[in-house]
Amino acid sequence: MGRHVGIVGVGQTHHARRRTDVSQAGLVREAVDRALADAKLSMEDIDTVVVATGPVLFAAVNQPEKWVVDAIGAQGKSVVRLTSGGGAGFAGALAGYYQVAGGFSERTLVVAYDKLSEGQLQYSISTLYDPFWGREFAVGIMGFSAAYWRARMDVLGHTEEAAAMVAAKNRKNAIANPYAHVKKEVSVDDVLNSKPLCWPIKLLDVPPISDGAAAIVLSSEKMAHHSTSRPAWIRGMAYCCEADNAPERSLMLSEPLAIASRQVYRAAGITNPRRQFDVVEVQEPYSCFELNYYESLGLCPPGQAAELIASGATQLDGDIPVNPSGGCMGANPIGAVGVIRLIEAATQVMGKNESHQIKDAKTALVQSGGGWANLRGCAVLSA
Amino acid sequence: MALSKVGVVATAQTEFRPAWNNAQHIDLISSVVTSVFKGSGLTIDDVDFIIDSGSDVLDGRSISNCGFLGALGAHHKEEARVEEDGLWAALYGVNKIRSGSSSVGLIVAYSKPSESNVDLYWNAQVEPFYQRPVGFGQRAANGIMAQRYLADSGLSSRDLADLVADRWAAAAASGKVSIDDLPDADAILAAKEGAAPLTELMFARPVDGAVAVLIAREDIARRVSRNPAFITGMGTSMDTHSVAAREAGRLSSAATAAAMAYRNAGWASADADIAEISGSSVIGELLAIEALGLAEAGKGLSAARDGKVAINRSGGALPADPIMATGLVRLAEASRQLSQPETSSGGTPRRAIVHGAGGVGMQNNCVFTLEV
Repeated sequence: MGRHVGIVGVGQTHHARRRTDVSQAGLVREAVDRALADAKLSMEDIDTVVVATGPVLFAAVNQPEKWVVDAIGAQGKSVVRLTSGGGAGFAGALAGYYQVAGGFSERTLVVAYDKLSEGQLQYSISTLYDPFWGREFAVGIMGFSAAYWRARMDVLGHTEEAAAMVAAKNRKNAIANPYAHVKKEVSVDDVLNSKPLCWPIKLLDVPPISDGAAAIVLSSEKMAHHSTSRPAWIRGMAYCCEADNAPERSLMLSEPLAIASRQVYRAAGITNPRRQFDVVEVQEPYSCFELNYYESLGLCPPGQAAELIASGATQLDGDIPVNPSGGCMGANPIGAVGVIRLIEAATQVMGKNESHQIKDAKTALVQSGGGWANLRGCAVLSA
Repeated sequence: MALSKVGVVATAQTEFRPAWNNAQHIDLISSVVTSVFKGSGLTIDDVDFIIDSGSDVLDGRSISNCGFLGALGAHHKEEARVEEDGLWAALYGVNKIRSGSSSVGLIVAYSKPSESNVDLYWNAQVEPFYQRPVGFGQRAANGIMAQRYLADSGLSSRDLADLVADRWAAAAASGKVSIDDLPDADAILAAKEGAAPLTELMFARPVDGAVAVLIAREDIARRVSRNPAFITGMGTSMDTHSVAAREAGRLSSAATAAAMAYRNAGWASADADIAEISGSSVIGELLAIEALGLAEAGKGLSAARDGKVAINRSGGALPADPIMATGLVRLAEASRQLSQPETSSGGTPRRAIVHGAGGVGMQNNCVFTLEV
């Protein structure tokens, strides 16, 4: 195998519904400054930079890495941008991982961001659909996700109550997250009684729309000790996909996530994910997705996600806490979410999480994804 | 650890046309994804990952890769979208194979600018508060670069037109580019103004098309390919955003990228036999030639036409610029010239330099070295 790669520095902005005090370039700079400070490095120590954003139609700047390169301080360096819908940050981190693992770089800075307040989010997402066959009737991604959820309600028992438990759990966890901007505790009944937006999706099943940026410093094993005595090593990481129109696409389990998790678990030596992970961070664009991930990641058999959430095992005081940071429910700067999930997991195994440190957390699982629920990845981090 | 070699096993590309009117994006993509395997000894099932390049803005579609995954052959595989010229997708793929996690990768890049407003594609790239409102973009950047270059080098517009005519003739001879009326130097000079002193035909011509490159670990490449070209060096660098703030008369980021690639490869530009270079205009090509070390400052023209290193035998980007795919086309062209010289421009070249560019005024540059 290639070289070991660790996360040695992390930083993110205080996310907000709207940041009127900075441009996209300013957002990026804040996250980069924090990650470099955390890694005890300066830009001179960085070999390559990966930028990641959600679709550029969101904020109307094409190839924004060519604008923000100066704010990062990366002029003259290798800079490339990855994009993959909501999973862009994760896809960018994966590209950065391979720059180090493949020997192209000793240290890579990955910075991911979105400034969603500067665009029309759902309108932009609607252009995702096929211009001939899909766009005339598609409205954003919510309709698709609602249909997805409805199908799994019958087959897998992903009830409204189970999803409401996810929303209640994550929103409560977000209260202690200093970087989240939605900090309001809600009950299961509050979620169930909230306004339907696209049934069964209701208002409190939906995360906010946020401006925010996040950055991590990836380092080779040789250089990691300059930054921290306890790197979060990436033991396995993969990002897989499913063709949008594949005839066998079932929309029950997330097959690309299941495929990615098999690859990652094999690489990381995970044989019993339910028992071996101390903490999990997932990217839930709607509450129902977290249930889907429990099953696709092998944390429970298909059809038992509702039981798992109801058992309390994924709560802070459970044996496999999921989203101690609050997940997307606390902040959702789409293109950055994948990196934020990596940060929240890395700081757990580094022992310095700022939201809810899970005691003695050594092995963490991260999930992220985008598209029409057909781009999905996961990673295993450990100290 | 020494960086392992990654070989180019097979390539495929469509004809490049000003407009592929009877094909959609998925048709262009799937045609190269299916044909790249022919005769290669590999199938889509052997591919561990797909990395693709394209532009949401050109496609008019958010997460445009999402709608093309089937055409890309990516179903149930690892896939990544690099939203930069395809040569950066190849860089990602090489690093992934070198990490040891994968053995075979498929790199795909496509472009259909005939369905887009190309000026908007470029104008949307510049800083939105101060540069975009005045309409700054690719045309103006290249025009300014050209004015500086002509003033410094003493060359004339006729000199530029002669080089452009040569490139179009080379593309016509290759049979890979659709050309209705082959322009001579007079026609190029008489063409509509693009951005003074450059005429429209002195800019890289946007074309529709797609290209696929199959890369593999060394042992697999040697087993399935008779004479694979190996990627031995890679370098990339991005300059500052503001064209006015860049080093005048020099593509410094291309020079940085080249130095990185040559250092990895262990040889320098003088050791190369051929070069395939992306230029956003004839001036961009000359500046790139100089930045890559193939000519001294201001002397790119003689190297371009009569240099020891054969430059752009394929014609390069000027007659055919499939935006977002051009650098990967250069890689495909160079690897074919090395691996199959008898069917591709002749001679016995052994070493190649490949250059890809992105951004207004070629802000981003990537350089590969290839060897057989």
